[in-house]
Amino acid sequence: MTVLNNRISLVALACAFVSPALLAEDSSLTNPAISAVLNGYYQTAERPLAETAEGFGLGETELAMSANIDDMFYGKVTAVVEMHDGETELNLEEAFIQTMAMPAGFSIRGGRFLSDIGYLNNQHLHTDSFTDRPIAYRAFFGGHYFDDGVRLNFVAPTDLYWTIGAEAFKGESMRAADEHGEREFKNVGVYTLYSKIGGDIGDNSSWQAGLSYLRNENGQVTAHEEGDEHEDEAAEEGHDHSHAASYTGKNTYGADFVYKWAPNGNYKYQNLTLSGEYYRVTDFVPSDLHPEDAPSKDYHQGWYLSSVYQFTPSWSAGVRYGEVDTQELHGDHFHGQKLKESEVSLAWHSSHFSTVRFQYTNQKGTNFDGIEDDNVFTIQYIMSLGAHGAHQF
Amino acid sequence: MRINSNFVKAAAAALYIACSGFAHAELNVFACEPEYAALAKELAPNANIYSATTALQDPHQVQARPSLIAKMRQADLVVCAGADLEIGWLPMLQMKSANAKVRSTDQGLFFAADQIDTLDKLASVDRSMGDVHAKGNPHIHFDPNRLLTVANALSAKMSQLDPSEAANYQKALADFSTRWQAAIPRWEEQAKALKGKKVIAYHTSFRYLFNWLGIEQVADLEPKPGLAPTSGHLASLLSRAEQKDILAVVVASYQDERGANWLGEKANLPVLMLPMSVGGNDASQDLFSLYDNAISLLNGVK
Repeated sequence: MTVLNNRISLVALACAFVSPALLAEDSSLTNPAISAVLNGYYQTAERPLAETAEGFGLGETELAMSANIDDMFYGKVTAVVEMHDGETELNLEEAFIQTMAMPAGFSIRGGRFLSDIGYLNNQHLHTDSFTDRPIAYRAFFGGHYFDDGVRLNFVAPTDLYWTIGAEAFKGESMRAADEHGEREFKNVGVYTLYSKIGGDIGDNSSWQAGLSYLRNENGQVTAHEEGDEHEDEAAEEGHDHSHAASYTGKNTYGADFVYKWAPNGNYKYQNLTLSGEYYRVTDFVPSDLHPEDAPSKDYHQGWYLSSVYQFTPSWSAGVRYGEVDTQELHGDHFHGQKLKESEVSLAWHSSHFSTVRFQYTNQKGTNFDGIEDDNVFTIQYIMSLGAHGAHQF
Repeated sequence: MRINSNFVKAAAAALYIACSGFAHAELNVFACEPEYAALAKELAPNANIYSATTALQDPHQVQARPSLIAKMRQADLVVCAGADLEIGWLPMLQMKSANAKVRSTDQGLFFAADQIDTLDKLASVDRSMGDVHAKGNPHIHFDPNRLLTVANALSAKMSQLDPSEAANYQKALADFSTRWQAAIPRWEEQAKALKGKKVIAYHTSFRYLFNWLGIEQVADLEPKPGLAPTSGHLASLLSRAEQKDILAVVVASYQDERGANWLGEKANLPVLMLPMSVGGNDASQDLFSLYDNAISLLNGVK
């Protein structure tokens, strides 16, 4: 991550993105699509592992450009500007190329991109119906998992949608904590496998279900030396705004589904989305841990269920419930932790391109950042400028 | 063990049909809208044709859902209105379906709007104008002359993709053209009395129909393209309607009738729901009956 405090650099970056727009009459399949997403909020309390902090703040301000490079390749760059603790951070969230002319339903993507595991992970944050990702995503994927790597994907030639893919990533943001800097990490740290199926039920409904597996070579925790607790907590404070996963393990198993309904399949006036995901992270216990220090459970798990109902073209409302159940290493032993989040959101859409959202979250925690029973209110806007790319199902 | 010889014969026949099916694979056509599925049916009666949307769905707001990815994956030809009508979902389907055959208009991708001059092209576009199309109005299928031009180009595209069947495509095109050209003057005769009439309509869905028949759309239920009717805007339409020169309030089969009904009631105007496309009502089963029905519904209120 590069930290840029220089405003001129940001302006230069913005110009680099915008100037082709002046040359192109409009954006289309053949000309670059250039867009920016503006995102700001006010939040009444801290949320654990969230991208948003207490008080006024800017969320991810996104600048994206995508186009067909030639008849073989498509490319996309998404730069994200974030403010944290008075510093402006510039991060590249996507910088990838994808093949377009491979035969038999195969495609390869390389560079930096969002992993295709799960339902939400490959979607951009600004398309979410809630102000933050579910706690399971924040705990296990650092909010959303993007990384440098390569993907091979296959779509089967069947009427029932079936896709299967495999990815390999550097995995830096998925490494287990290493405060002494003594560990040897593997260069290719993360491998994933995923498969999704989906289809329609009559004219009114569509669905998709997926299974995913993430192998994290660097996910197993190493045992701390005695008397490390203070360092440990200090290290964690600093983690609050990084995109690193907070709870890792060697193996992560996931299952996801989404169901969408609209009368006659017409999404303009009313539609309903039901979605849910479950993750279980295993093999995180240090191999040299004394057996009597073993955690009460040898897995972390987290899940959420959400439902969003758009009841007029301008209004939508959502409810979401999610929880995580994790084991945190404190020195030489584990503490069980749990967080439950119940959320309600109401959003007003002046058009397709602007959203103002109100959200209420109740957080109930057990040994989780000192949270017992907290209420968080958030007001947020998300607005997109320019030729915005299509959104996924 | 005795083998049922009928079963063997049936199995052999099934195998033969399956294999011959592969040998003479029919064109798989993915149509973005039902009017292009209907046109493809006229031009390639033997093709496998799939329509991504129905006349009850707003084609601007389609989800790039799994079933559409699966269908596009298998398509030889993708036929869409174009002019950015499908900009919200077509690129995602092309990306996800990984079908190199239908990515480029040089190959199996066909945009109807590319074949003709669209109405209402804009020199500059700003989102404060609403969700407008810089490339002009994409709802071109209600102009019979433009549609015939599109049919010619689509038939040529089919021949290009499937040269072994070219003679059949040409025959189907000639047959369609003859029937279509015979129908145009008949429709124009039927709609003669509609010329010069004024309507209030929802969106510019029927821009080409009104342009062709000489109907004038004097106001739009949408304050701006893509935005829902607001009460303030409807009130302004009511004062316009008080000039007493409006024939009807027109909505398309996928549009919400509430604003139109309110205006219709207050201004004592008939509200007419026209089929946006084939399948928009029971009477509209193909392109011919779609036109017949739209004109007869308009005539019904004059």
